[in-house]
Amino acid sequence: MTPLMHVVRAEAFKVAKKKRIYVLAALYWVVLPVLALIIGRLLHTNLADSFANEVGSIDQILQALFSPFGLATISLMAPSFVSPSLYMVAVVLLAALLIGDERSQNMWKTVLVVQPNRVAVMAGKIVVAMGALLFLMVGAFLSSLVFGTLGTSFLPTTFQGDWANLAWLYLVQWLFLLAPVVLAFLLVFLVKSGVLGVVMVLFLPGLIEGIYTVLNSLLQLQPLNRINAIFQALRIQQAWQDAPRYFFTANLYAPARSPGADLVAEIASEAGANGAEFQGLEGLLGLGLGIPHSAAVIAGYALVFGALLFWAFLRRDID
Amino acid sequence: MIAISAKNLSKRYGSVAAVDAVSFEIGSGEIVGFLGPNGAGKTTTLRMLAGLVRPSSGECSVLGKDVPGPTLREVGTMIEEPSFYPYLSGRDNLRHAARLHGDVDGRRIDEALEFVSMQDAASKKVKAYSQGMRQRLALARALLWEPKVLLLDEPTNGLDPTGIAEVRESLRAVSDTGVTVLVSSHILAEIEKLVDRILAIEKGALRFDGTLQALLNQMGGAAVLYTVRSSDQGRLLAGLSELGYEPQPRGEDGADVRVPVAETDELIGRLTALGVKVTAATPHGDDLEAAYLRLVGGSGRPS
Repeated sequence: MTPLMHVVRAEAFKVAKKKRIYVLAALYWVVLPVLALIIGRLLHTNLADSFANEVGSIDQILQALFSPFGLATISLMAPSFVSPSLYMVAVVLLAALLIGDERSQNMWKTVLVVQPNRVAVMAGKIVVAMGALLFLMVGAFLSSLVFGTLGTSFLPTTFQGDWANLAWLYLVQWLFLLAPVVLAFLLVFLVKSGVLGVVMVLFLPGLIEGIYTVLNSLLQLQPLNRINAIFQALRIQQAWQDAPRYFFTANLYAPARSPGADLVAEIASEAGANGAEFQGLEGLLGLGLGIPHSAAVIAGYALVFGALLFWAFLRRDID
Repeated sequence: MIAISAKNLSKRYGSVAAVDAVSFEIGSGEIVGFLGPNGAGKTTTLRMLAGLVRPSSGECSVLGKDVPGPTLREVGTMIEEPSFYPYLSGRDNLRHAARLHGDVDGRRIDEALEFVSMQDAASKKVKAYSQGMRQRLALARALLWEPKVLLLDEPTNGLDPTGIAEVRESLRAVSDTGVTVLVSSHILAEIEKLVDRILAIEKGALRFDGTLQALLNQMGGAAVLYTVRSSDQGRLLAGLSELGYEPQPRGEDGADVRVPVAETDELIGRLTALGVKVTAATPHGDDLEAAYLRLVGGSGRPS
C-alpha cells in the first residue's frame, strides 16, 4: 500500500471516531427532510381542498418540493442557502479535526515522523475530507429517498423527476467543495489559533466580497470620484464591474442552486413575465452563472489554494 | 555501522543560533545520553534528526540516509511532552499510528501495550490518563513498528521515581535488542545508569562527547563522594586523614570522604595497607552531576 493509502486509512479511522460528524449527519439527513415533510403535510391538510388548489397548483408544489425527488433537491439546495452554509460548516468541522487538531494536540511531530512523506500526509487528509463530504451528501440523498417514500403515503406525490440530472448536480457540487476544503486547510494550518482559522474560513470570503459591494456602492454614488477616475484611467472599470462573476461564494454553490434557478425561470415563464422582473433573486441563485463558468472559476481557486497549502506545508518547520 | 550522524548541524532563528555546528556519530546499538540544560538545543537537534525542523546549515542522517526521508519510518520518537488525540482511547491512538505507518502487525499493539504495562488502561480515553500513563503510552507508540533507532526527548519528565526506574528498565531492555537510543535529559542522574556515552550540549554547541568516566577525567580534579564503613571508626578516620583526605564521621561506623577520580580504584587497597578493615565503600553520584554542571557552566542554566 502507498503512503497515501496509509494516511487515508488512519485519518478515516480518526474521523469515524469523532461524534460531531454524526451530529452533523443527523442534522442533515433527518432534521431537514422531516421539517420539509411537516411543512408539506400542513400545506396539504390546509390547502388541498381549498380554492387555491382548483387548478392543481398546490399538488404541483407538493410534487416539486415534498416528493422523493423534491426532498432530494431540497437536500442539495437548502444547505447552500443558510449562512454560513451547511456545506461550509461541514468543511470547517473537518478542517478543524484533520488540521486544527494536529496543532492544538501537538500531533504534527508524531504524524510527520510516523509518515514522513508530507505530500502523502496532506493529500491523504484532503481525500478523507472529500470522502466525509461525499458520505454526508450521499447519505442526504438516500435519506431524502427514504423520507420522500414515507411522504408518498400521506401526500399526493410520486417518484417522478429528472433523477440523472439531480445525481449529476450532487456529484458536481461535491467536486466544487474541493476548493473550500483546501482553503480551510490552508487557513487553519497557517493561523496558529484554531478558532481564528475556523472563523476566517467561515467569514473571510464573504467579508472580502462584502467590502467589494460597499466600494461598488460608493463608486456608483459619485460616478466621477477619484477612485473611479483612477479605474477609468487604468481601463479596469469593466474588470471591476465583472468581478462578482468570479467571487468564490457566488460560484461555489452554482450546482446546488441551479434547480432553484430553473424553478424561478419556470415560474417566470408560466407567469408570462420576463427575466428582468426576477433580477432580485439573481444574487440568491448565483447571478445566473452557468455551471461551466463556475466550474472553471472554482477550479482556479482550488489550484491556487492547493498550491499555497502544499507550499506552506512542505516548507514549514514543525515547532 | 553509523546509525545517527550529524555534521556541522546548525539551526538559526534570526540572529540566535539554537544549534551551532554540532557534529557527532552514534553507532548502531549504542545508547547515548544527550545532556544539556533547558534551552541548550537538545530538542532542536532531535527535531532536526526527526525531520521536523530543517537545518539552517549542515546535514544529518539516520541509518545512512539523509533526513527527512523514508528511513524515518524506522525511527521511534518521543519529542517533548507526549501528545495524543484525547478523544481516542490509548489503544485507538496506537491503532491510528499503526495505520499511518502501514507496516505494523495488529498484535504489535498488544505487545507494545504489554511492554509498558498499559493493557488494563488501554481502552480508557487518553484525556483521563495521568502524566506517567501518557509517558508510557508514548513509549509504546515509539516502539510500535520495532524501530531501529529511538530518539527520546526527556522521556522521564513528570514521572515519579518508580516511573523513572520503569522507563529506564524498559529502555535498557530495548537497547539490549540492538536498537540505537539517543535519549536527552537535563538531569545527568536520571540517565547515568542507562547510557554508555554522553553528548553534552550547551548554548547550542557540543561541549563533550565521551563516556561518563571520560567526563569526570576531563573535568580534572573532580571527586567522587564515598561513604566508607569499618568496624573501627576511629582507625578509619585516622587512616583517611593520613592519606590526605578530609573525612567526616557518618553514624557510628563510617565516614564520608571525597576522593579524586584518579584515586578511586586504589582507595580500599591503601586503607587496607594502613591496617584499616573496610567493610563497605559506597560511591555517590553527586559529584558526577557536579562535574557535568561545571562543564555546562556552573548553574546548568543557559546564561
